[in-house]
Amino acid sequence: MNLDAPLPTVRRSRWTGLGAFIGTELRVQLHEVLSIATSIIVQAVFLVFVGVLARQYLSYTLVGAVVFSTFQIGQRVQNESAWIRIDHKLHELYHASPMTPEAYFLGMSIGILLAYCLPILVLFTASAYLVPLSVPACLLLVAILGAEFVFTASVGYMISTWFKNMRSIWPYSTLFFNFFGVLPPVFYPLFLFPKALQPLALLLPTSGGAALAENAAGILPLPIGWIVLASVSLVVAASLAFVGAVYWARRISRER
Amino acid sequence: MNSQALRAESVRKIYRGRGGPDIEALSGVSLHVSRGERISLLGRNGAGKTTFLRIASTLLAPTSGTVEIFGQDAIADPESVRPYLAVVPQEGKPFMHLTPREQAYTYLRARGFTRETAKSRADHALEQMGLTEVADRLSITLSGGQRQRTMVATVIATEAPLLFLDEPTIGMDPFARRGVWESFRELTAKGCTILLTTHYLDEAEALSQRLYIVDRGRLLAEGTADDLKRSVGGTLRVSVVSGDGISQQLSTFGPLVRDGDTVHVITGPHGLREILALAAHADLTATVGPVTLEEAFLRVVGRSINDES
Repeated sequence: MNLDAPLPTVRRSRWTGLGAFIGTELRVQLHEVLSIATSIIVQAVFLVFVGVLARQYLSYTLVGAVVFSTFQIGQRVQNESAWIRIDHKLHELYHASPMTPEAYFLGMSIGILLAYCLPILVLFTASAYLVPLSVPACLLLVAILGAEFVFTASVGYMISTWFKNMRSIWPYSTLFFNFFGVLPPVFYPLFLFPKALQPLALLLPTSGGAALAENAAGILPLPIGWIVLASVSLVVAASLAFVGAVYWARRISRER
Repeated sequence: MNSQALRAESVRKIYRGRGGPDIEALSGVSLHVSRGERISLLGRNGAGKTTFLRIASTLLAPTSGTVEIFGQDAIADPESVRPYLAVVPQEGKPFMHLTPREQAYTYLRARGFTRETAKSRADHALEQMGLTEVADRLSITLSGGQRQRTMVATVIATEAPLLFLDEPTIGMDPFARRGVWESFRELTAKGCTILLTTHYLDEAEALSQRLYIVDRGRLLAEGTADDLKRSVGGTLRVSVVSGDGISQQLSTFGPLVRDGDTVHVITGPHGLREILALAAHADLTATVGPVTLEEAFLRVVGRSINDES
């Protein structure tokens, strides 16, 4: 034993372990086949309701379902992060290591996204054919979904760290689902929302994203000012949430 | 090269009470661990062991005090020392949907090891922990002890220069514990440093080159297990059940240590016959054995390590 030997050199970057942790989380999530398969059950039920009750709005519901399915990834990040922190204490294993807190947060989020992307792809493909979406509209929808994912995963991760037990977290899933998904015009068109509140709806990442996607698909005409408002709002929300989550991940990696 | 793996000075931690009084979990703890040492923090539940271990391993900020790891300030710049650490968290569990092999392998990959190194180290650690037969079963199907061994295997496979192990053998059977102890000895022989917490006296004695007795957020004693046993004042322990009534006479043979209604007389071979006669005369049961760490703990802390009060 040579106790005077220098410490081993550790190659470390901000993203050390990111790929490996994405793989870890993906392996874990892929065991939840039923959860993945049923992850769009609410969206499917809404599609059936709208198809029966107001068929003329079905294309809005379809696009909204794609946007909201991506948004739901954040709730899964929130629950997974809280679960492995509170129940498994695995965040301690990973934080006291060369892996940075931001790699941990992002690895978990991307792993969950990859696991749950198949149902989203099904909805996306259905939208592309049934709405239908042009290639530029598809590309724009992908960009919108990317921003939705960044926003929602970041917020979900931050929220997950605020609680000491899982029971306290459950109500937040319900709150987010209804506040971001059911009430604002995500599954129904913006013009059915009260006129005075329509600009406010554009500020929400879900309803704003859905409006942008529907506009790109040519089914929801929007004034240019509203397009700018929704776009800027989505980009700013996603950017702020991501920066906030990275800051928070670093801070929370050592509890106070 | 800094010969000290860990140096903590005057570490205090106050948990802010939420609707209740603040709790001082650590009251100025100072300790040092040299490279290659195996050190135990021995104490009852709630003594402050885990709080100290979490602070030292950069997972919890202290209220005040300093912690250096390999000469670097772990309080001001925790990320700079984290590559040299690995932690077995208290009551940690592996991912339920990973096998022990996957858990250890993916963790090593996340720490930046190559595929080959991660595979060989994971296999070796699982073998050391006696998990080879269940290495490809999902953790959700394993017993509590096997899951705990998976956590230990995952961490020892890193061979990180400084390992923090919080109650690493909790829930394990005696065979498994001995296997874990052996692997810890191998690691320190390779140059790794280990700081572990335990409330198992036999574990502290079997494993530690030095140990610290912790109670109510303070370090009350430090030394080898033999040092601490010697400090009790004798080599033999005569335990007299319900011996309070004759405690005055017993005290003439050596220091007394009380554990519930049992009075332990710490003595040598010289007074043995008289003490046993005294107990027999009072119609009390007395047993004789060597002084153990239990008596040292009782003498230092004033209560048994199993006393939950």
